[in-house]
Amino acid sequence: MQRDWPEVWGGLILAMIGIGAAFYAWQNYDLGTLRQMGPGFFPVAMGVALCGFGLIIALPGLWRRSEGVPFDIASLLLILAAVLVFGLALPRLGLVGTAFATVLIATLPAERRGWVWRGVLALAITLVTVLVFHVGLRMTLPLWPRL
Amino acid sequence: MNTWDSLLLGLSFALQPHVLVYCILGVLLGSFVGVLPGIGAMAAISLLLPLTFYMSPEAALIMLAGVYYGAQYGGAVASILLRLPGTPQSAVTTLDGYPMTQQGRGGIALFTAMVSSFSGSLIGIVVLVMLAGWLSGLATRFGAADYAMMMIFGLVAASTIGASRPAKGFAMITLGVLLGCIGTDVNSGAQRFTFGHAELLDGLNLVALAMGLFGVAEVIANIRNPERQSIAARIPLRSLLPTRDDLRRLPLPILRGGTLGSFFGALPGTGSTLSAFLAYATERRLARQPERFGKGAVEGVAGPEAGNNAASITAFTPTLTLGIPGDPIMALMLGALIIHGVQPGPMMLEARPEMFWGLVASFGIGNLLLILINLPLIGIWIAMLRIPFNYLYPAIIVFLCLGVYSVRGLAFDIVLVAGIGLAGYLMTLAKLSPALLLLGFVLGPLIETNLRRALLIARGDPMVFLERPISAGFVLASMVLLLVPLWKIWRRKRAAADF
Repeated sequence: MQRDWPEVWGGLILAMIGIGAAFYAWQNYDLGTLRQMGPGFFPVAMGVALCGFGLIIALPGLWRRSEGVPFDIASLLLILAAVLVFGLALPRLGLVGTAFATVLIATLPAERRGWVWRGVLALAITLVTVLVFHVGLRMTLPLWPRL
Repeated sequence: MNTWDSLLLGLSFALQPHVLVYCILGVLLGSFVGVLPGIGAMAAISLLLPLTFYMSPEAALIMLAGVYYGAQYGGAVASILLRLPGTPQSAVTTLDGYPMTQQGRGGIALFTAMVSSFSGSLIGIVVLVMLAGWLSGLATRFGAADYAMMMIFGLVAASTIGASRPAKGFAMITLGVLLGCIGTDVNSGAQRFTFGHAELLDGLNLVALAMGLFGVAEVIANIRNPERQSIAARIPLRSLLPTRDDLRRLPLPILRGGTLGSFFGALPGTGSTLSAFLAYATERRLARQPERFGKGAVEGVAGPEAGNNAASITAFTPTLTLGIPGDPIMALMLGALIIHGVQPGPMMLEARPEMFWGLVASFGIGNLLLILINLPLIGIWIAMLRIPFNYLYPAIIVFLCLGVYSVRGLAFDIVLVAGIGLAGYLMTLAKLSPALLLLGFVLGPLIETNLRRALLIARGDPMVFLERPISAGFVLASMVLLLVPLWKIWRRKRAAADF
């Protein structure tokens, strides 16, 4: 048993986003008046409100006890890496190379080990992707890597 | 044009071969994702959203709607057989559905769920048709102040009703509204929170936001889900047939569930999950032997399933007639329509009758298809439950990346998906609702515009929100919803002090 850290951190991060957004909007955009609101009015109000709600979430968490939550950092990092690789590789590796590479990275956190099924799955998904997006929807994307 | 003519127009539109194909595609896909735990209608609709850009807006709406109500049918399957709700709306169905499976009556539970879903949807369609004309007539009298307050009421209702910690709901909605501020301000042309990125001038991409929150985050959370189990049970078609006693118990719960669901579905902010819970509570309260509930009572399956399906139909009422989405899935639908260049609102019934009535007709056709297809195909859906998530989620990742990219052809949006996915996963850890964030994101800009317009017309006098009867009604209703949780806290403190 420990303090309810997800609540505390979640609330604090929200509060910081809120106050940060409010401050940034207050500095950079015109607030205007109630009659003629400027572009800054709404973001400042919402930022202050978010800060308040964040604190309401965070403070009780300091005294509350809770079980830890399962934090699956490996899955998190590898899936985000797969998405990023997709975005960065698409202009260079073409649809086929990108889909194949993305599946290989995305299957890394899977419970099943071994590379054979990963390769087969990557081929199958790449094939379906090409059929749906290139043949079916005629998306204009290069298929093959640019050498 | 009277209602019958309109319905005929809708039918003739929805029965065109290519529209019918999209309708079938939608309900089949919906059933599929509904059956699979871990992928909900939300993720499926955001995945399909970019694909619909290649269709007419009417066909797109009909297909996406099919995914939504199809998922309700599929969601019941996993709830009944595995005690894993395939969709949040079907969580209540586990309470009595799973005990029925344990007693070897799983087939009957599935049959009950399908029939109740179908009947509930029919009730929903009737209510939708009756409400739509009246509401769009009423909506022509809505001013900016009324719109603003109605949307604020919707947000308050979404974060307070049935929530254990309303502060969390409010925080997510305000965060969503703030994210909605990103981009060019319509009134002044100022570029807000763009930090010099030209990609953000049109605002945060809705598809990227939905995919990050509901695709990436759900995949990460489900990769090593220990609750995942395999089923061995085989359901022969014959075991679906209910006994005479079961049949006798069905009609009233279906009628009550469908009516309750129709009502709460049409209210902004509430929706099908709440309807299912309320229908279950009602059945248990009205039952002669309430102790049967939780141990495999057919009424406990029939009521909620009729309720959530009716609600998923009537939820389209405020979305299409007022342009105000009542729940996050409707927010996504509204976003889809706006991307297609269709602005739903009071004028839509007049301006695009084939869209509205075509959708209504497709509800009837789609639900008929669902019950005709799903009962014989039940074995296939059960086989789907055995597909390991390992094989599915990499495909989801590739499809969602390509989907986001296809909207604007910007790699920037894919990087954005990764960032939003990270935030979404952290939010699930802190038990913060990404669905409410999306609702705030879609409604935020509409609220801001209407608030500013209302105050400009009233020369800055905030009393305008209390002087107009419609607006004042929503202010009052919001206050009541806000005071209820405070009153509960106060009562709990009092109860604690009495000890």
